[in-house]
Amino acid sequence: MDHVLTLMTFLPLLGAAIVLALPSQHHALIKQVALAATLPTLLLGVWLFVAFDRGTTDFQYVDKVPWIASYNIQYFVGVDGISITMVLLTALLCPLCVLASCGIDKGVKGYFALFLLLETGMLGVFVALDFFLFYVFWEVMLLPMYFLIGIWGGARREYAAIKFFLYTFAGSVLMLIAMLVLYFGSEPHTFDMTVLMQRTGVFDMRTQHLLWMALFVAFAIKIPVFPFHTWLPDAHVEAPTAISVILAGVLLKMGTYGILRINYGILPAATADLAFWALAVLGTFNIVYGALCALAQTDLKKLVAYSSISHMGYVMLGMAAFTPQGINGAVLQMFNHGTITAMLFLLVGVIYDRAHHRNIDGFGGLASVMPVYTGFTALAFFAAMGLPGLSAFISEVLVLLGAWQRYPGLTTVAASAIVLTAGYLLWTMQRMWLGPLNAQYAHLPEIDARELVTLVPLAVIVLVLGVYPHAVLDLINTSLLHLNEIVKAGAATGVALR
Amino acid sequence: MEPTAVSTLRWIPLLPLLGAVVNGIFGAAIQRRAGKGAIAVLAVAPIGGAFAFALLAFVQLLGLPPEGRMLLDVVWRWIAVGSLQVNVAFMADPLSCTLLLVITGIGGLIHLYSMAYMREDDAYWRYFAYLNLFTFAMLVLVLADNLLLMFVGWEGVGFCSWALIGFWWREPVNTTAGNKAFIVNRIGDCGFVLGIFAMFWTVDTVVFRDIQAHVGLLDGRMLWGMPVVGLATLLFFVGATGKSAQIPLHVWLPDAMQGPTPVSALIHAATMVTAGVYMIARLHFLYALAPGTLAVVAGVGAATAILAATIGLVQDDIKRVLAYSTVSQLGVMFVAMGVGAWSAGVFHLVTHAFFKACLFLGAGSVIHALHHEQDMRKMGGLRTQLPVTFWTFLIATLALAGAPLTAGFFSKDEILWQAWSSPLGSPLLWTVGVVTAGLTACYMFRQIFLVFFGENRVDPHVAAHVHESPAAMTVPLVILAAGSLLVGFLGVPEAFGGANRFAAWLAPVFATGHAEGHHAAHAASLEWMLTAVSVAVATTGAFVAFLVYQRRTVSADAMAALGGGAPYRLLLHKYFLDELYWATVGRGVLLLARIGAWIDRRVIDGIVDGSATLTRGIARLEGRFDAVVVDGLVNALANATGALGARLRRVQTGNINTYLYVVVGTVTLVLIARLF
Amino acid sequence: MDLGNLQSIAFSAPELILIATAILIFLADLVVRQKEQLGALALFGCAGALIASIGLRMPFSDRWLVQGLFGWGEGWLYSRMVIVDDFAVFFKLLFALAAFVTIWMSLGSREVQDGDEGEYYGLVLASTVGLFYMASAANLLMAYLALELVSLTSYVLTGYLRRNRRSGEAALKYLIYGGVSSAVMIYGMSWLYGLAGSLDYQKLNATVLHGHVEPLTVFVAIVLVLAGLGFKITAVPFHMWAPDAYQGAPIPVTAFLSVGSKAAGFAMMIRLFYPGLSAPAVGDGGGWTFLAGADWPQLMLVLCMATMTLGNLAALGQENVKRLLAYSSIAHAGYTLMGFVVLNDAGLRAMLFYLITYYLMNLGAFLVVMVVANSTGREDLDGYRGLAWRGGAVPAVAMAIFLFSLAGIPPLAGFVGKFYLFAAVVEQRYYLLAAVGFANTLVALYYYVRIIRTMFLDQPRGDEGVVALDTHNAFLLYFLAIPTIVLGIYWAPVIALADRSVRFFLG
Repeated sequence: MDHVLTLMTFLPLLGAAIVLALPSQHHALIKQVALAATLPTLLLGVWLFVAFDRGTTDFQYVDKVPWIASYNIQYFVGVDGISITMVLLTALLCPLCVLASCGIDKGVKGYFALFLLLETGMLGVFVALDFFLFYVFWEVMLLPMYFLIGIWGGARREYAAIKFFLYTFAGSVLMLIAMLVLYFGSEPHTFDMTVLMQRTGVFDMRTQHLLWMALFVAFAIKIPVFPFHTWLPDAHVEAPTAISVILAGVLLKMGTYGILRINYGILPAATADLAFWALAVLGTFNIVYGALCALAQTDLKKLVAYSSISHMGYVMLGMAAFTPQGINGAVLQMFNHGTITAMLFLLVGVIYDRAHHRNIDGFGGLASVMPVYTGFTALAFFAAMGLPGLSAFISEVLVLLGAWQRYPGLTTVAASAIVLTAGYLLWTMQRMWLGPLNAQYAHLPEIDARELVTLVPLAVIVLVLGVYPHAVLDLINTSLLHLNEIVKAGAATGVALR
Repeated sequence: MEPTAVSTLRWIPLLPLLGAVVNGIFGAAIQRRAGKGAIAVLAVAPIGGAFAFALLAFVQLLGLPPEGRMLLDVVWRWIAVGSLQVNVAFMADPLSCTLLLVITGIGGLIHLYSMAYMREDDAYWRYFAYLNLFTFAMLVLVLADNLLLMFVGWEGVGFCSWALIGFWWREPVNTTAGNKAFIVNRIGDCGFVLGIFAMFWTVDTVVFRDIQAHVGLLDGRMLWGMPVVGLATLLFFVGATGKSAQIPLHVWLPDAMQGPTPVSALIHAATMVTAGVYMIARLHFLYALAPGTLAVVAGVGAATAILAATIGLVQDDIKRVLAYSTVSQLGVMFVAMGVGAWSAGVFHLVTHAFFKACLFLGAGSVIHALHHEQDMRKMGGLRTQLPVTFWTFLIATLALAGAPLTAGFFSKDEILWQAWSSPLGSPLLWTVGVVTAGLTACYMFRQIFLVFFGENRVDPHVAAHVHESPAAMTVPLVILAAGSLLVGFLGVPEAFGGANRFAAWLAPVFATGHAEGHHAAHAASLEWMLTAVSVAVATTGAFVAFLVYQRRTVSADAMAALGGGAPYRLLLHKYFLDELYWATVGRGVLLLARIGAWIDRRVIDGIVDGSATLTRGIARLEGRFDAVVVDGLVNALANATGALGARLRRVQTGNINTYLYVVVGTVTLVLIARLF
Repeated sequence: MDLGNLQSIAFSAPELILIATAILIFLADLVVRQKEQLGALALFGCAGALIASIGLRMPFSDRWLVQGLFGWGEGWLYSRMVIVDDFAVFFKLLFALAAFVTIWMSLGSREVQDGDEGEYYGLVLASTVGLFYMASAANLLMAYLALELVSLTSYVLTGYLRRNRRSGEAALKYLIYGGVSSAVMIYGMSWLYGLAGSLDYQKLNATVLHGHVEPLTVFVAIVLVLAGLGFKITAVPFHMWAPDAYQGAPIPVTAFLSVGSKAAGFAMMIRLFYPGLSAPAVGDGGGWTFLAGADWPQLMLVLCMATMTLGNLAALGQENVKRLLAYSSIAHAGYTLMGFVVLNDAGLRAMLFYLITYYLMNLGAFLVVMVVANSTGREDLDGYRGLAWRGGAVPAVAMAIFLFSLAGIPPLAGFVGKFYLFAAVVEQRYYLLAAVGFANTLVALYYYVRIIRTMFLDQPRGDEGVVALDTHNAFLLYFLAIPTIVLGIYWAPVIALADRSVRFFLG
């Protein structure tokens, strides 16, 4: 299993090729093949989860071959505690999303081919250790996303798709500049992140700050951080269910992952200087602002989208704290939000498939026709609220507890948002699922087996991680403590930590 | 001394959880196949088991030397990140053991009662799943050996409370009440969790024992210009105000009465709402270091006691009267906590659990008999039809009113005495307590007279078949009534020649807190006098109720009309606090939300789309320039096609000039730029 | 080496093959009925020229290509009129391929079929000869002649569609502008001659760098010459002819102009400005120095930014795909110039590499335009609505590939090309230029995606007509699309080729 990561990354691509080879009218066959193409990656992911060495900070399962020798570009992949959870999350969500996409009946072949290409792109981003490779995967992921939103999306899909595309592309353009500056700043020139991490001294602080800013904006757009976030509600609302799941479950994490991997790893000193304003303050603002906006939404999917903005704020606040609890909480929150928000979007999809609208006030009393569905919704909602015993509680408490050590004031503001969160989720619960039944929907069919299969695994994870978070914490802890130390060391060279 | 390691404690919360899981997942199927009986068994048996294990723990504790009375059951490593080391570990000392017995004991009785009370409900299984889940959460709250695990129970009970208040979720009013309860509680939880952070920040642990051991680390630690210990205890107290319905977060409890009555008895009288008191008792060693906070606690408690009692005077809903009485009694307990009378407060918690549960269940029995009629104006003269209910209700009322020798008498008297005599106490606090006692007696007897005496105002259709409740409901009533009479004797103050076994039992826990009753002996005469006064006041209160609602020498309407009726309206509308909160906080937040959404759509997207439009605009300008220069020629040529060379030449020359101008212009421009 | 005319003839195999084929075609045109055969003949000519050029020098690393047919060294031909070196050969390969693809396209083009193709193919070949000499001229006069040869043939080719009014107008305008530009250029050349007393690049170089000349004079001359070269590479403000000429000309010709003559313009420019007017800097790797005071890089910097910006902005508003691509090709001239201003071999290498990728994606884009025009006769954006959903899936996907490549999105050739250009710019710390360039890629992305959106996201209304792709064009489509992807994933040999081709014969 030396090349497990390469296999995981490119097996979906192979699947895409097979899908393209199939006759386009055999929808069922295409869907089965697509599912089959995502499963090996999932199985390898499970194997990786078992075999991953929790004790080391080194990169594991490394594949490293020269790619363009003349420019010192390598094909270099590997995982450590920072990326492993994201790899697992992606490998887990993709099969579920294929299942959730069974409703697709237009351009089936193209849809699943693009989806599999997307999976390759996402996994590539998380395993790439060569900056050039990272950038390529980062962009590769854009194209299928554009088409998946733009062709299979909702009414305003064209606007949403191009908005998403331009926003992210603008970000990646900044990333490219920063990447080149880093490359030419290193002697000998290299894109190898592991090497770049050793070479923080070669730039003066001002350059480091500029680089940090450029990279931060690139990633902030993906997270998304206020005020770069407005692509997200549009994209989420217009995208088909499975794509919303991927968007919120995986793509948003790429932003925070990039910051941890690149801003923290390569520019620790600048991180130490800028984290307060860029991460802590903006993160807190995200938490409150996202919650407030969610409170004002009437479209269920938009509400969930804004709740994502709010919850990603915890990740930023946590990693800005430079405490073991904060940074562990941040990465754990990335994973938990991935599973919970995936559940939420799947649940939204369930009702949208039946009622063909998502207007929160247009329902009522669904609990009496769809009790099981209601049960899962309640679970997902309370998980999103960070109810103790469910996964998000652990990560949010860790984040806040870690953040308080450095920013008690901000943390107080951030913590106050848990009230808002409870507010908009319970209010939605009441308006849609409880109360007298809306006669118009008296005959909605209960959630079916396929939909259950997509939800149950996530529900189980949410419950298990609530009582035994170390299933994930053990994976990430070592690497994160190490990274935390690097940044603290960087702080020593730079200006003092706030 | 090190705690004694055991592995039996875990079963106390685990059994109810098991019941909840089974009923929660398979309940619907079981109920369909095996009927409601099976559900009830599945729900009640775990509580019984838990009670048994609680008794076991009690015995084990008794077997230990007083200062070593602590059992610890570490189940698994929960969160271990950096210096934060938190286990799922349960700890039983006299304090938590007391609560265990109350929760499982009274809880068990209420489960029994519910079997009959909820018989007609189709969602029987769901009800018991919630009830078991609640018991589980409450037991975790009490047994937790660290703040984080306690918080799990803390929010867990909040969740169950939400689910049970909105149990009949088809009625929007119920779900609204549930949401109100949860959100108001969340405000408190927010404070609580911040308190935890402050603790960890200073003491670097969240385990009670270790905090107590390293409490010295708090010396001199300041934040935001106040000592951290003061801040933390205040934050914890914010949590307590939420959970225990103290001012300003008391507004949810009366609405919570929308839930089934047994739920009100269990959650909103006996157990959950007392969590705040328990938490302060659990952290007494911190509060002992924060006199400022204690003053706040006592003040808030006193204010709440009075405020709630006064509102209770005018309520017509049989359950709301009890609800406000609960709020008021909790206030009294916080007064006790505020003056450092830890064990007195806990003692009142226990006695109150008995008689208040009894009252609620009694009210439930009445409501059950009258087919869900809750308005006392539509009751009256029921003592003959509901004898058992009447007598138990009367006993519990006497206990609550503090009639001598009842449970309430001893516990309340202890508190009042401490409020007067404790170094933190003051005659003012004592006065408040006494007045509250008077008011309590008044509204409780008003209730008695309205419900059980006077002419029967029951709706004739219903009146026909009013009947005493089945044994499953009356037996718990009787047991609780007996408790209301007897538990008081556990804590007879020395002044009355008692040994106050209860205080002695808790003494090891509170060893580090204020020593209480130390000066009781040589002030016995004073205590007798104070007691006499309080009893007198209570009797007066009862007598007023008698005059107004039984003898009718003074008409209720006349009293309502006092002062132009303004005071009455004020009380009837609960001092308009709900309206105030909604107008300020509620509307404020919604406004902010709309502003945020507006900024998103208009401002930010405006900028984004605007810049796009701008670019396109520039492009259009540029294109026009292109068109003028370039397409000008095309059009000219179009006109000139087929024309003679002469015309053609003219057209061309015109445009060659343009082009030449551009070329030469560029060249010269460049040269000029180059020269300067 | 320095060969006289007679010896040189043997070394001019590629050009001679082209000329011979051209003449043959003109003659055969009189007798042959199926004009396709003439096209086939022209293809053979190009192939021959290609092979001859490969053989002429071994541009690839000698490891993996055996010594070719001829395998001579580098040097002067026709007594210092023409140079043969890696640089020249690189461009000859590019031009031969461009001509080959153009003719192949023409054979599949509806427009071209209904003219008299004989002279058409002949002219394409003749023009190619001009391109060859533009890349290898070692003498101002030779350079000028070559440029004029290209221009004149291009005018005719542009106006090839006799019945089409736009075509005629385009040709006329092209002619007029071309005339003015070359007039200005030759005036500038006369200044240079006045300075150096010779038309020979090497002597020119010696005078400019070591003779005591007034920098301003040199600068004036340079600016004037630039007018002519700017015209060829469609650099702002000498670009105005391009949109109309490109739109009016038959699509294969447009493709040929946008790739062939533009690349030739760059080739001539590089040879004149680098080995001609600058000298390799001693010491550091691949730097160049120019005459202090005659700072043309600054000038080119401005030109470069203006070109890409105006080109992109103008493209934003276009509704005609052909015209849009014309503007985009102006913008790409701007990108390519980025490599020109940084004054080092890395920049030049990036330019050459970019020209290759540009060759693939631009020809490809125009090919799709032609395929659509063949079936529907439409070139406007609406004609592309829902292309993917009405039989045109393959062309649509190919178009998407070419456009994303033009936009510079990995893993496509265009990205790698841009990457090297920007890398060269960032390495030399031209951050402003880099910023402008990146801003432009954003704008460009918008209008490229507009086409893609129309093809995929919009549903056909039904009045667009069905698009069919015949095997002839399909073959070419794959021939261009596959390398566009492959070069985006593995480009080491090509960059090696470009690297090796930045080598001038300096005597």
